[in-house]
Amino acid sequence: MKFLRNIYKKAHPHFAEGGKLSRFFPFFEAVDTLTFWTDEQTKSGPHIRDSLDLKRTMIVVLVALIPTTIFGIINTGYQQALAIDNTIVLTMELLLKYFWVGFQSYLPIMVVGYATGFFWELLFPIIRKQEVDEGFFVTGWLIPLILPPTIPLWQVVVATSFGMVIGKMIFGGTGKNIFNPALVTRAFLFFAYPGNISGDEVWVKAADGFSGATPLAVPAAQTGSDAVTLLSGFQQFDYSWLNMFIGWIPGSVGETSALAILIGAVILIYTKIGSWRIITGSIIGLVVTAIITNLFAGHSTNTMLTLPAHYHLVMGGFLFGTVFMATDPVSAAYTNRGRWIYGFMIGFLTVIIRSMNPAYPEGTMLAILLMNAFAPLIDYFVVKGNIKKRMARYAK
Amino acid sequence: MTQIKIRKGHSIRIAGIPQKEILTNLSTAEVGLCPIEYRYVKPKLFIKEGDHVDIGTPLFFNKENPEQIWGAPGVGTISKIKYGPRRVIEKIVIKLDKHEKRFSYKAITLNTIAKLKREEIKSIISETNLWHLIRQRPFNHVANPEDEPRDIFISALQTAPLSPNLDLVLKGQKDALQAGINVLAGLTDGDVNIGISANEQIEELTGLVNCNLHQISGPHPAGNVGIQIHHIAPLKPGDIIWTVNIQHVIILGKLFLTGEIDPTIIVSVGGPGAKNPIHVKTRIGAKIDTIVNDQLEDGEYRIISGDVLTGKKVEKDDYLGFYDTIISILPVDLSRPFLGWIQPGSSKKTYSLSRSFLSFGRRLFNFTTKQNGSKRALVPINAWEDVLPMDIMPNPLYRSILADDVEEMTQLGILECDEEDFALCSFVCPSKIDVGATIRKGLDIMRTEG
Repeated sequence: MKFLRNIYKKAHPHFAEGGKLSRFFPFFEAVDTLTFWTDEQTKSGPHIRDSLDLKRTMIVVLVALIPTTIFGIINTGYQQALAIDNTIVLTMELLLKYFWVGFQSYLPIMVVGYATGFFWELLFPIIRKQEVDEGFFVTGWLIPLILPPTIPLWQVVVATSFGMVIGKMIFGGTGKNIFNPALVTRAFLFFAYPGNISGDEVWVKAADGFSGATPLAVPAAQTGSDAVTLLSGFQQFDYSWLNMFIGWIPGSVGETSALAILIGAVILIYTKIGSWRIITGSIIGLVVTAIITNLFAGHSTNTMLTLPAHYHLVMGGFLFGTVFMATDPVSAAYTNRGRWIYGFMIGFLTVIIRSMNPAYPEGTMLAILLMNAFAPLIDYFVVKGNIKKRMARYAK
Repeated sequence: MTQIKIRKGHSIRIAGIPQKEILTNLSTAEVGLCPIEYRYVKPKLFIKEGDHVDIGTPLFFNKENPEQIWGAPGVGTISKIKYGPRRVIEKIVIKLDKHEKRFSYKAITLNTIAKLKREEIKSIISETNLWHLIRQRPFNHVANPEDEPRDIFISALQTAPLSPNLDLVLKGQKDALQAGINVLAGLTDGDVNIGISANEQIEELTGLVNCNLHQISGPHPAGNVGIQIHHIAPLKPGDIIWTVNIQHVIILGKLFLTGEIDPTIIVSVGGPGAKNPIHVKTRIGAKIDTIVNDQLEDGEYRIISGDVLTGKKVEKDDYLGFYDTIISILPVDLSRPFLGWIQPGSSKKTYSLSRSFLSFGRRLFNFTTKQNGSKRALVPINAWEDVLPMDIMPNPLYRSILADDVEEMTQLGILECDEEDFALCSFVCPSKIDVGATIRKGLDIMRTEG
């Protein structure tokens, strides 16, 4: 690696102050510290430090995303094949083949997403003369996973730019944003191009005219019926609970497999990078709210109310959102009690939007964005609670 | 005796733990006193270069509080007064006489000490100019003799990395310790509270009277006196609490028992850079190189007066910090591993409280002065909260200090805090933020505005 170091050493004077390319120093610094871990020494405070830095934090999230990414790519190819012949039985050989097929539609989205993201991620620090931060590693990986494989690439560019600039950069970059930038990207598409991405029609790369309903749209479309009966009776796709849990259903690339997402959740919680309080809180919120809606199902013709909690859990983007989006430490609540409330409310709102709002069959994205906006308020009250307790102690 | 269990925190597994053995090394030819290490003190000198001083002779006083006078730590000639930028007095160096003839005060028996009146105790401490042995909370600075402290706290539990072994330090000092406690008990209407280890029995700490013993268990920072105050009897607004280092209690005790100022203390020398981690019996203000003289191998090292979390970087010709009983030695590592941040990690190369590296086993770790990352904006992954055993919310407090919000800082309990209690937060912070420095900034703001 000496060879590479020497190149950097030679290039350094050009980027350093007074050099021809000194404007682009943030770019040089980013490339330099990405390839060779920084040798910065402690100056003030503790003379020794934990090995965890922000780059590592981001990499751990990417590792947690690997199972669902691989599954998503295979599933993309599989769904494409199923659209032509829905009697296929999966074998080991076919898995590899579908991986390759899926990869062909996944790769362009990922490359275009990352390219767009890094453009903004570099442009702003260069103008502001700051160091480039690592936030886009995760955001860039998340974006193709929450988009359908059929998305036009120009929409990826427009939406990623919006998500990066409005969702993050105007606030000052990673650590300062209010909303999760990947979700802002998704929300932008959702509202700007509702025809393509509102979530009631499935996205499968197939011949023109192929269409079908997403699992959430099935019970949403019919009144006065039972959701589970409708789903198990659905002909076109296998919407049984087990199949939805494993994830062989159409949907956004990363969201379909509850199993793969749960593996990611275990990694995040074990490494202490993701907040177990948020994940647990939102699952509790979802289950409790679903049980309550089930109680009211008899008094209404709304079929969504009959959907049991364990179905809610594996359908749509809920698990993906709660594990990988809601746990974004920057846009979530930052007090521990606040994290419970924040998580619970995401679960609650997801079910409420899914069952009460006729316009959108899926509610996770909106629930998380809404709670992102409310997170500071939750923290405010939690902090006030701590203050009150202390004041009571002082008064004694 | 009360029991306190502390759950949050972390005892860092740093290599180079000092052996349970004491080397006596009183060979230092010079001792130094550094006025800048005392917070919020504007020193005004009594002496000039060339003056001869006795142990306890006034060297300087605090312009903001003339009651606070610092005595000389040894008998000899003032060889140098070093000024820093803007004429700040950095250090006063005393070249010791070959045969120190120490001035002797009146010796008092143990039982009589307990009966001394407050004014009598105060006048003896003032006469020997030793008030800087006692510090106060809030703000953690030298006590003001005029104050009446609510309680006095002593930590006899050492959890900081590479701390001296108390069993060794206290051996044979039971009378001095009891005398010191009697002195301190006379200075307050409240209690003298001593935090001791719940797991380790130390002979000298059993059967002490005139004080409350609290058995404390848990990882670092359980041994920090600030944490112990918080769990035993927290500071309220307006309270003043005094704290004394355990070895300084012995110095105070000996002063009353024998009438002499005995400046010997036991310092641990350790860390991954130390060749022979051990305890050294030396004296207050000793020159660093007399303590570390044969500890260093070839290569670049950082010597720290104090523990690796809160200590101060020193050079060989500096002097031991007044409140420090640890000399830590860390190697400086300037290597830059290729794609180091993606590598799986190992128990030899990485050390993290998060489990984001594959490092198994509980072996001791060779820390270096590497920061392991660059400074970033705060990303709250709950790392701080997991190592702060206080009912204080570090993150909102940090934000309120950055926002200069005095009212909110007060409400969030800043007066109960000291930077040393937040050192572990900085240690674990993935954004490499120096939380302790911000806490100190908040305390500075409180002192001028609050």
